[in-house]
Amino acid sequence: MSAFFDAWHYDGKSAVRRKVEVQIIGAQFFLLETERRHGPFAFSDIEYVTHKDDADVYGLKAADGWRLMLSGPVPTDLNAMLPARRNYGGWVDKLGFGKAAVAFTLASAAAIAVVLLSPQWLAPLIPSSVDEKLGDALVGDFGGRFCSTPAGDAALKKLVASLDANPDDLQVEVAKIDMVNAVALPGGNVILFDGLVKQARSPDEVAGVLAHEIGHVREKHVMQALLRQMGLAVVLGGIDGNSGALVNNMLSMSYSRESEAEADAHSMKALGGANISPIGTASFFDRLSEMDGSANSSTSDNGIAGYMSSHPLSRSRKDAFEKSIVKGKNYKPALTPAEWTELKTMCTQDRNAKSGFGFDFN
Amino acid sequence: MNDDLSQRHSAFRFHGSWLEFARIAFPNLLLSIVTLGIYRFWATTREREYLWSKTDFIDERLEWTGKGMELFVGFIMAFLLIGLPLIVIQLISQGLIFRGEAILAAAMTLMMFLLLFYLTGVAYFRALRYRLSRTYWRGIRGGSDDPGFQYGLAYMWKSVVGWLPIFLGVPWSMISLWNAMSFGPHRFSASAKWKPLMKRYLLFYLVPFLVFIGAVVFGISMAASGGTPDTLGSTGMAAGAIFAIVAVLSFYLFLPLAALAYYSKYFRLAVGGLRLHNLEFDFRARAPDWILFFLANMAIVICTLGIGYIFMPYRNWKFFVDHMEAYGEINIDDLTQSETVVAKHGEGLLDAFDVGAI
Repeated sequence: MSAFFDAWHYDGKSAVRRKVEVQIIGAQFFLLETERRHGPFAFSDIEYVTHKDDADVYGLKAADGWRLMLSGPVPTDLNAMLPARRNYGGWVDKLGFGKAAVAFTLASAAAIAVVLLSPQWLAPLIPSSVDEKLGDALVGDFGGRFCSTPAGDAALKKLVASLDANPDDLQVEVAKIDMVNAVALPGGNVILFDGLVKQARSPDEVAGVLAHEIGHVREKHVMQALLRQMGLAVVLGGIDGNSGALVNNMLSMSYSRESEAEADAHSMKALGGANISPIGTASFFDRLSEMDGSANSSTSDNGIAGYMSSHPLSRSRKDAFEKSIVKGKNYKPALTPAEWTELKTMCTQDRNAKSGFGFDFN
Repeated sequence: MNDDLSQRHSAFRFHGSWLEFARIAFPNLLLSIVTLGIYRFWATTREREYLWSKTDFIDERLEWTGKGMELFVGFIMAFLLIGLPLIVIQLISQGLIFRGEAILAAAMTLMMFLLLFYLTGVAYFRALRYRLSRTYWRGIRGGSDDPGFQYGLAYMWKSVVGWLPIFLGVPWSMISLWNAMSFGPHRFSASAKWKPLMKRYLLFYLVPFLVFIGAVVFGISMAASGGTPDTLGSTGMAAGAIFAIVAVLSFYLFLPLAALAYYSKYFRLAVGGLRLHNLEFDFRARAPDWILFFLANMAIVICTLGIGYIFMPYRNWKFFVDHMEAYGEINIDDLTQSETVVAKHGEGLLDAFDVGAI
């Protein structure tokens, strides 16, 4: 049994401050005032609250506002009964600051690695029915913006069939939107924007871009990108505001380039298999990079920015396509001149297709 | 056992030092980085524990008893209840735009905006309630039994009414939420008058017009003095250039100054109108104090290349406590424990909307 003088106590019921002595009896203690005795309280119910000025503040479980404040040298027998002080919070205090920082760094790196790598393994596991439903929900009839003429459809179908072995699970359409762009969406949806078709100088150019987008579909890039984006949003959700978004963009960008290269490789292979010269695609990239930076003076006012932003261009990409030319090979045009004209004028001919995005954002 | 506050210098005193705070803030920064930001809930808690424990009210320190886990759970709840549905709604409305249902998409976006607007009001309420319920003084805490759903509605209509003719509804709604709060057995009452605010308020909204009128007057006087900048030659050109710079500067200088002048008066009136039983409060910072405070904050952040940002909670709290005053009497025997409920989750909503208050 020991008595201890330097303690202050609030009972949590009123704001009256009491000077008390702590009387320890086994695993319990009493608080003695001049005329009153509080307790008994069990040491197992005592919890560390905070450090206040020069005093450690302890609370009592299930007693709101109950406080015992100890300052000065605390007798060892009392100290041994009290819970440990909290500094950084549970885990960090247990491990120590340095070890905890290292452990957190490793765990964070592992979490990001999992999010970056797992879409590659997870994407193939997602059933194609889900993929299709997602594509249908997202694309539908594209607000009636798909162009269709019998001859144009036939030309497009021929182009797709020459570039892919299973053209039936692809939905390739031309949309009446005046942007130089093409997108691959879930469910095997590939959309060529009319701006790109009109701007192309030969059907070989369109074939190269189309094969590139089909590459995104066949390599499961679309679902991977969706999963990655979702995973990053969750993992980086802890970082507030801009820094999270910035990291998120950077990571998904770097992934983008990687899969662009894969899609390019797919495109070159498909062009080779279809006996279509890759020189058209190379010159398409060349023209795009020349137009880069001078978009204002170019003929299509809103054209280039779209393709540029989603498809990073570089000289090496153009070079890759040029290198894939096999000398002496007997290339033939992707479409006959008549078919090419039909495809190019399909959106002009189809008066039923709506144009633009439904509202002007230019 | 009565404490007569009027005989003291100030009921609120702050004893912290920025060196001590640095020993909390820097490890916090490091841990926040290596945990991808998740530690920031515990970081906030540690900072508040320090700031509260260094703050005297009369003769006893304040105590912050909030837990990092509570803030974390609040954040997760806000993410699941609001963040996820928002992402889904955004996906759907994107699909709708693709399908040409622009009007439906716009309607959904509007609904989303209204919902967020409402939840922002609820978030403000809950954050204040959380902070009061975790603040102890002499073993007594504050709180509120109101869940804040009605305040969300009041916040909405007062803000809308306030935006239309006069902007004063915003501060009005902000201060009225104190009416639902209590400390111990006593309820707060907020009865600030808004008429004295009008002049400062108008000043804030007049600045752009005054600059514009100044430009017009200058143009007319130039024309009247018989010359366009051309005929005036290089001096005229220089004068015009200088004026243009002054106009832009004054816009960027006077607008924040007018805003600070308004905010300082608002804060003084709001705190001045607050009562807790026999206690009255006062906030002594005037517009020049606020301006110096903000300039110093900016200088600190800029000169330290942004790292000084971690000292902002310290600076804010010190500024707040240093200028707070309380008058009146507290009967310690009457000050019994609050019977309000204690929510187990923190400021998740507010955190999710990123609308930090002091």
